[in-house]
Amino acid sequence: MIRMISVLLTALLGWSVALADEAPISGAVKSVDTVAQTVTIESTAKGKTRQVIVYLKPGARVVKFVRSTDPAKPGFVEQAVPLTDVKPGWLVSVATKHEGDKEVADLVKVVLER
Amino acid sequence: MRTTVSWWSAAIAMVALALGIWIGAPTVTCADPNGEEHDDDKGGHVHVPAPLEYADSHAPLRIWTDPKMIARGKEIYTTTCAVCHGDAGDGKGPAGLALPLKPSSFRDRAGVAEMRDNYWFWRISEGGQVEPFKSKGSAMPPWKGTLSVEDRWAVMAYQHTFTGHQGPHVPWEHPESVAMGHDIYRMSCVGCHGAQGKGDGSVGATLSPRRAPQPRDLTSSLFKFRSTPSGQLPTTGDLVRTISEGIRSSGGPFTIGLSGYRIMPSFRHMPEEQRLELVEYVKSLNKAFWERAEIRTVEIPPRPRVTPERVARGKQLYADAECLTCHGDRGRGDGKSAPELKDDLQLPIQPTDLTRPQRFKNGRRPEDVYRTLMTGFAGTPMPSYADALEPEQAWDLVFYVLSLSQGGTK
Repeated sequence: MIRMISVLLTALLGWSVALADEAPISGAVKSVDTVAQTVTIESTAKGKTRQVIVYLKPGARVVKFVRSTDPAKPGFVEQAVPLTDVKPGWLVSVATKHEGDKEVADLVKVVLER
Repeated sequence: MRTTVSWWSAAIAMVALALGIWIGAPTVTCADPNGEEHDDDKGGHVHVPAPLEYADSHAPLRIWTDPKMIARGKEIYTTTCAVCHGDAGDGKGPAGLALPLKPSSFRDRAGVAEMRDNYWFWRISEGGQVEPFKSKGSAMPPWKGTLSVEDRWAVMAYQHTFTGHQGPHVPWEHPESVAMGHDIYRMSCVGCHGAQGKGDGSVGATLSPRRAPQPRDLTSSLFKFRSTPSGQLPTTGDLVRTISEGIRSSGGPFTIGLSGYRIMPSFRHMPEEQRLELVEYVKSLNKAFWERAEIRTVEIPPRPRVTPERVARGKQLYADAECLTCHGDRGRGDGKSAPELKDDLQLPIQPTDLTRPQRFKNGRRPEDVYRTLMTGFAGTPMPSYADALEPEQAWDLVFYVLSLSQGGTK
C-alpha cells in the first residue's frame, strides 16, 4: 500500500514539474541573432514585462500560417520562415523549456508580421 | 500498528487523489446554447467598460443585419482575424492555439452577449495594447490604423454571425450587457429616477414638489447638461460628468442640508468603472443613443484673460441678449419674466441666481458657463446662444456673469 502511494505521489510530482518546465510565451520580437540562433522576445504576463532570450535548438523551425491553396484542404497550413527573415516587431509564440539557465525551443510560431 | 499505517495510507491516498483532481480539473465553465462553453477565465472575457474616448462609438443598428456589411466583414475577418480566432470563430485558429492567452470565441453566445458594441469596437481598434489586456499579455494587435471605422463595424457584424443571434447586438436584445449598470442603478438611482428611468421615483418629487427641476426622465431625449448642440443627446462624457458632479439647486427650503446645495448627489466617490457601467445602463433606456449618426460637441476655445473691457462688453451683451429678462438686472434670478417661467412639463421654474456661482447647475468654472451658454438647457426656457454669439462675445458674457457674484465689476 505504502509503495503504491509513493508511486502515486511521485507521478503527481513529476507531472507538476513537467507542466511547470514547459511554458508558452508570446510577445514581440526585439532582436534576432542568426549566428547564436536566438530570438529575444518581449513578453508580458500577469502585469510584468520581461525580455526572454530563446535559444533555438539545432533544427528548430520558424513557421507562419498561410491559407492553403489546396481546395480539398481549406484552412491554414504552416509555412517555414528562415530565421533571417524574422523582423523585430513581429508577434511570435514559443513553447520553451528550461535547459540549465536557458530557455530553449524547437518551434517558433509567427502570429503576426508587422 | 498495521491498522494505523493503513488508515494513514488511505488518508494520504485521498489527499493525493484530491490534489490530482484539483490540478487536472478544467476551469469553471457553463454550457452555452451555441455549443460553446463560456469560460470566465479566458483572457477575452475581461469585460470592462470601454473608456470614454470609445464610449460613444456605438455601431449603427443597420450593420448587424446588412448582408453587404457582413460579406465585407467576412472578407476582412478571413484575411486578418481567422488565423487566431479561427475560420469558425471559435478562437481556435492555428496562431491562436499557440498563444498563452487564448483569443475570444465568438461562438460563446453568453460571452458575446455580455460585450457591448462600444467595447467590441474598442477591442478591435486598440487590440490588446491597452489595459487591462496589455498586462495580461494579450497578443491582439490594434487595427485602428489599418481598418477604417466602417471596416471595423463590418468585422463586428461578421463576428456576430457566429453567435447565431439574429438582429442587432444592442442592450435591449442583450440585457446582460448592462446588468452591472442596472444593479448600480437599482441601488443608487431608483429613488428619484424610478424603476423604469422615467423620473417618477418616490423620493424625487419630494425634493422640489410641483416645481422644476424634477428628476430627469431618462427615456426621453431631453438632457440639460450636454456638450452637444441644442436638441441633441449628451455624450457619454457629459453623463459621466453629471453623475460625478451631481446637480446643484438654485435654492429653496428643500435644499437646506443638501451637500453642496446638490439636488442630485455627486457620485464622485463611486469608482469610475462603475460610473461608466451606470451610464451604459442609462443609455440603454433610450434607443436614440444608437440611432444618432454623428456626434458633434460644442468647441470651447482657450479661455482669454479677463480684462475690465471684456467684463464691460459682457455687461452690454447681458442686456442685449435679454439675459436680464429672466435673471434680473443684478443677476439674482428675479427678472420681470421670472414668475411666469415654466419648463416643458409646465412646471414653474426659477431662473438661476447668477450671484451664487457655487449653485450653478452645470458648473461654475468659466468653461462650464461657456458650455451652458452655447448649449442651453433642453426642456427649460434657457436657450442656446450658439447661433447668436461669437466665441469672443461668449467669453465676454461668461466673465460678466461670473463677476455678478462680486457686484458685476470685477
